[in-house]
Amino acid sequence: MEVTEQEINHLAMLSNFSLEPSEKDALKKDLSGIFKYIGKLDELDTSGVEPTYQVFEMKNVWRADEIINQDADREALLALTKEERDHQIKVPKVL
Amino acid sequence: MARKYEITIGIECHVQLKTKTKLFSEVDNDARGKEPNSCVSPVDYALPGMLPRLNGEAVRLAIRAGAAMNAKINPDSRFDRKHYFYPDSPKGYQITQFYHPIIGEGFVELPSGKKIRIEHAHLEGDAGKLTHFDTYSLVDLNRVDTPLLEIVSMPDISSPEEARDYCKELWRNMVYAGVTNGDLYNGNMRFDVNISLKKPEDTKLGTRAEIKNLNSFRSIERAAAYEYERQSKLLDKGEKVIQETRGWSDATGVTTGQRSKEEAQDYRYMPEPDLPPLSLTQDFIKAEYDKCPALPADYRARFTKVITEDTLEVLLDYPELVNRLAEIADGGQPVDYIANLFASVLLAEENQSLLNDNLPSANQLTELAAMKSKNELSSTSAKEVFIKLFEPKHCDKTPLELAKELNLVQENDSGALEAIVDAVLAKPETAKAQADYKAGQEKVLGFLVGQVMKESHGKANPSAVSEILKKKLK
Amino acid sequence: MKIANSSTTAVSLVKAALSRIEETKEWNIFTFVDKKAALERAEEIDARIKKGETVGRLAGVPYALKANFLSKHRPADASVKILTEFTSPIDSTTAEKLDKEDAICVGCVNMDAFAHGSSTENSYFGPTKNSTDKTRVAGGSSGGSAVAVALDCVQFATGSDTGGSIRQPATFNGIYGIKPTYGTISRYGVVAMASSFDVIGFLAKSASDLDLLMSITAGQDPKDQTSLPDYYGADDTKLDKKSVGYIKEFMDSPALDPEIKSALESKLSALRAKGYDIVELSMPTLEYALPTYYIIQPAEVASNLSRYDGIRYGFRTKELNAPDKTPLDLLFENTRNEGFMRENKRRIMIGNFVLSSGFYDAYFLKAAKARTLIINEFNKAFEKVDAILSPASPNPAFKLGEKVDDPVSMYLEDVMSVTANLAGIPAIAFPAGTNKAGLPLGLQIMGPRRSDKNLIKLVEELA
Repeated sequence: MEVTEQEINHLAMLSNFSLEPSEKDALKKDLSGIFKYIGKLDELDTSGVEPTYQVFEMKNVWRADEIINQDADREALLALTKEERDHQIKVPKVL
Repeated sequence: MARKYEITIGIECHVQLKTKTKLFSEVDNDARGKEPNSCVSPVDYALPGMLPRLNGEAVRLAIRAGAAMNAKINPDSRFDRKHYFYPDSPKGYQITQFYHPIIGEGFVELPSGKKIRIEHAHLEGDAGKLTHFDTYSLVDLNRVDTPLLEIVSMPDISSPEEARDYCKELWRNMVYAGVTNGDLYNGNMRFDVNISLKKPEDTKLGTRAEIKNLNSFRSIERAAAYEYERQSKLLDKGEKVIQETRGWSDATGVTTGQRSKEEAQDYRYMPEPDLPPLSLTQDFIKAEYDKCPALPADYRARFTKVITEDTLEVLLDYPELVNRLAEIADGGQPVDYIANLFASVLLAEENQSLLNDNLPSANQLTELAAMKSKNELSSTSAKEVFIKLFEPKHCDKTPLELAKELNLVQENDSGALEAIVDAVLAKPETAKAQADYKAGQEKVLGFLVGQVMKESHGKANPSAVSEILKKKLK
Repeated sequence: MKIANSSTTAVSLVKAALSRIEETKEWNIFTFVDKKAALERAEEIDARIKKGETVGRLAGVPYALKANFLSKHRPADASVKILTEFTSPIDSTTAEKLDKEDAICVGCVNMDAFAHGSSTENSYFGPTKNSTDKTRVAGGSSGGSAVAVALDCVQFATGSDTGGSIRQPATFNGIYGIKPTYGTISRYGVVAMASSFDVIGFLAKSASDLDLLMSITAGQDPKDQTSLPDYYGADDTKLDKKSVGYIKEFMDSPALDPEIKSALESKLSALRAKGYDIVELSMPTLEYALPTYYIIQPAEVASNLSRYDGIRYGFRTKELNAPDKTPLDLLFENTRNEGFMRENKRRIMIGNFVLSSGFYDAYFLKAAKARTLIINEFNKAFEKVDAILSPASPNPAFKLGEKVDDPVSMYLEDVMSVTANLAGIPAIAFPAGTNKAGLPLGLQIMGPRRSDKNLIKLVEELA
């Protein structure tokens, strides 16, 4: 399957990448080859087969509703951000 | 009111579940009045390598909420990821239940008796909060992954009033079921209203607009009514209603279209690989289902004979009052008088503050009602005692103790009353009045009753007194 | 493993490690060396030994963390720009458990960015070179871990394996590597690649070392609700059929290097000599293992990498001005565009393709069903045999640059290893001599779920 300009732009939008034209062309070529390869799966008959999303038999795993101390507190977490203000994370204005 | 177009409304409601901790981490779920980002775990902050840790209480509350919607619980459900980039979404996706929700079909019955069908309801995490300033915005993640139950109704609602009634009944059911604090001001329940219009003869529904994030019953009714006007004007002019999300402003009383990406959002839902699926046993489901207490509909059925519909509908907004009435009725005692005290005295503007004090016990209220019916208290005195019973310094007293203390108990013992009457009639200053009465001037009876009341320091029952006087002055 | 005791000090072990790290700089193995902290820790452990206090089972043993493991006050950059400037405030469960046993982390080692790759060429810090031939690749994504162990910089290294990332570099460098049963070791604090495949494991110089590390780190973790209830060394799956299988389709594959094939055959005859039945297994569905993997894995990658936006941690772009774009949109777009490597972008875009509306059923759902068929095929096989002996990769270490511009040929490196990740079963890579050119050869042995410990015993028999 050949990836079109429009498709690569759509995937870049979904992925939130601002791609340079040159990189776009390279990715178009790469993805075309990869889609061709994974397209091989069409041959396999999977009718009536249940999907597998996880490879264990565990079910109903949940925890008690109790507050416990966390591995990192607010100061430790906010120290990781580039811009902090009044204990909040500063970002460019959201329109 | 007669409408030119038929309205079709479906409502999505986000209910904040009252768990101690968040849906996927063990931090405080109640961020009200707390500092920004003070209720945030590394999981909520979406550090690399962090994995969600499901809170079992949210699963239990969801089942109880399902019971409060007469809904089927799906034993097998699982979580999915809904992807979108936004500063209030640290993971870049929301953990929700898209493919296999925990709650299936159900219904909510309105006071009118009409049933609004529930399509499904699912668990999901809330987003963070953004505050906007002139050149920047600030991100507070306290609300991230607060547990929400999203309840999706079928488009069974056919008027703005009915939309309000549905939301109110749903709110009542969730509060009675004890799954949420139901604090609308703090957004504990938020409503998205989908509304479309069609000509009565048309078979297919019109294009719908979605009004997002309404959090008061009044705004729901007003916004829906406004949308009816807006859409019908368009249709009258032969124009098209565009499918969009709109915002409502209480101040301006209008809905306005919200800036949306030219391309429709593609959320790329994917099964959540970091959480094992749920597969609940019938015993587990039943145990939680049975924890759902009596709901407004049950109380309507129970009190329909004894409490007027208007009074009951008013009281149903106050679960603690209705529960108290039920407690009294369980004890085989009458509730009508107390229901009226609640509605006419307690909920009167000037007394509303009493709701913050402790509500008198079933025994206190029952005794109060009995004293009133035995005329040991005049209706005015009964109200006075009732109000005083809320005061911390009186709340431990019996109504009788309190009434005595306040000198409000009426003297009904006829023997004692006759003695007082005789004493009064023996007084020379009443001789003239007695003569006048006998001469046919009945109005002086009032003067004599007054004298007796004075003699009894106001504790005599006036009607009883006048009966005795009439007898003696025949 | 060399453990510190009254005769061997932890300081001497750490100093030896640090000097080896110096001597092997040109292999580009370490992305961070924690010299000062390591020596202090060593002195503290020696002091306790002197006082006759009991010390952990890994007292003084120098080890390396793959760069995608979070550990307090150390960088956890996964060898990718978007995570540079990120220093972890927390410990991964694995780092914490190793620390409790007094192992000493001497630093973090190179990997393919976000573990996307099979050669460790796809690293923000440049490639790590093969331990025996500097013109060849280390393998990947745990290339730094493998070479650090092979060149004796450390006695063991942590690894993560999503499609072969522990086993292939282990075989390329002639050491042992274990990919445990899915969920055996907590994933808490390890930068996620593809959640339903990711496992934590180790690279070391002997099967018994792997056993010791497993017994220390395996176990259920409340911080990872997909971690299995403890079983390692307790209720492991027995391997008592005395029979081992090999996969016909792999043996007949034209891609399989003849010298690896003969190495495999000689191991099979060795087993036969030890009295094992050798069973040929036909597993036709495995032909679809790689396409299945390269649909589900990128989908989970795209999802797991959505959190990297420059807002809360790590790299943030400075380019916030462009016509007809808001600074916020640019914060996301440019941070991600500048912060990810090309291969990260490929996988994110593949993932967003197979999940996007209109394609989900044809790709993601279809692959999830194919995964079921592959698991069924393994279950059938393990009714007949205790374990399956197979190549870990079709070829020995290839030349640097040989495959970098051809993603599909790079993906084909995983064609034999991804099968274990798709099924969630344990697989151990072990050395099997060298080829004529002197390059290490290796194989892998796969067993049923929870047979990890018995599989290690089997590997010891094979050695």
